[in-house]
Amino acid sequence: MANLKDIQRQIKSVSNTQKTTRAMKLVSTAKLRRAEELAKRSRLYAQKMNQVIAEIAGRIECSKIGGLENRCFTEIENPKMVDIIFVTADKGLCGGFNIQTIKAVNKLLKEYKEKNVKVRLRGIGKKGIEYFKYNEVEMFDTVRNLSSKPDKTKSDEFIITSFEDYKEGKIDSIHIVYNGYKNMITQELHVNKILPVDVTNFDCEKIQSKSMMEVEAEDEEKMLDSLVEKYINYNMYYSLIDSVAAEHSARMQAMDTATNNAKEMVKNLNVQYNKARQAAITTELIEIISGVESMK
Amino acid sequence: MDTFKLEILTPNGEIYNGDAVSVVLPGKEGEFGVLSGHASLTTLLEAGVVDIEKEDKSVESIVVNWGVVQVDEEKVVILVEGAAAIRGETESEIAKALEEAKELINEIADASPAIATVSARIESAAQRLI
Repeated sequence: MANLKDIQRQIKSVSNTQKTTRAMKLVSTAKLRRAEELAKRSRLYAQKMNQVIAEIAGRIECSKIGGLENRCFTEIENPKMVDIIFVTADKGLCGGFNIQTIKAVNKLLKEYKEKNVKVRLRGIGKKGIEYFKYNEVEMFDTVRNLSSKPDKTKSDEFIITSFEDYKEGKIDSIHIVYNGYKNMITQELHVNKILPVDVTNFDCEKIQSKSMMEVEAEDEEKMLDSLVEKYINYNMYYSLIDSVAAEHSARMQAMDTATNNAKEMVKNLNVQYNKARQAAITTELIEIISGVESMK
Repeated sequence: MDTFKLEILTPNGEIYNGDAVSVVLPGKEGEFGVLSGHASLTTLLEAGVVDIEKEDKSVESIVVNWGVVQVDEEKVVILVEGAAAIRGETESEIAKALEEAKELINEIADASPAIATVSARIESAAQRLI
């Protein structure tokens, strides 16, 4: 049996860890509240934006308004190069949060490899970047410190490269992979194909029953372009804020579990300590008694 | 009078959600008004003022910097990047809203010719309230 001092030292160390994890949990809870608020407020906007884009895409697909052709709305056959953008956290200690995103990216990479499509991987967030660097997966570019502090200007700058390349035809598709916030205890993995806009689920019948959409004739190309730009900018930004909220909720949970585990461990160690103490006392008693016996 | 549902959404949440009798929007190709039963339409908005006429005949003005509007028969959804509503109970509240609206408009440097007219309209909207 371990000696008393060792156990005492262990108990102290575990309860110190417990203090740290509890503090981290409290910090995450506070941060989560702010991030959650932001994500919730933007969610409606993001959804409506996607709806508007989907509807326009659907109408173009169904009726081919005025022979309107836009690269953003047409499914490209035999893609040669695709962009995958992943968003992970800058910090660890948040359970399976980062690894889930990484797994999804790996799956996507594998799928494209089988189809012989080249992939350009663009990373946001230290943890994901570190992982892919370690595994020697080539990355096109990487951004740190953006996923912990989402910033609209920086996110616009980041996504514009992909959008420009898409318009020029260098790449044929853009995906964003991130772990989003669902509620306090669950995160939801999103693999969003933002360009080209998905029109496969669109119901043409429904549109025809409604009245025709009017698109201002003069510069509809320009209008669509600026609209699509806003759409992908906002999608990128929303992914970031959703990811932050999810990160904090994941960390809060992970730290809560850690605190509970530490508590359990201290309890067990205490039992062990008491046993050891009892054993020591018993041995001492036996020694004294046998000493007395032998003197008789 | 017939009304329709009007929603104005910004990245920071809803700024208006309710019934309206008519709404005047600053479209890319000029201002246009929408009443209930309007044909479906999707178009972009420029920096300007959205005037909403409510059922009680009161008019609310909301300043926007960029937006896209989706009109159909029973509802109008406006997505804007930045918006400031000119509303308030007291004079100081209105003044504050006015300040916010002006700030928003000043941020858009490239729409400079429009700024003067928009600023004037914001002022008059605030005057109406006071």
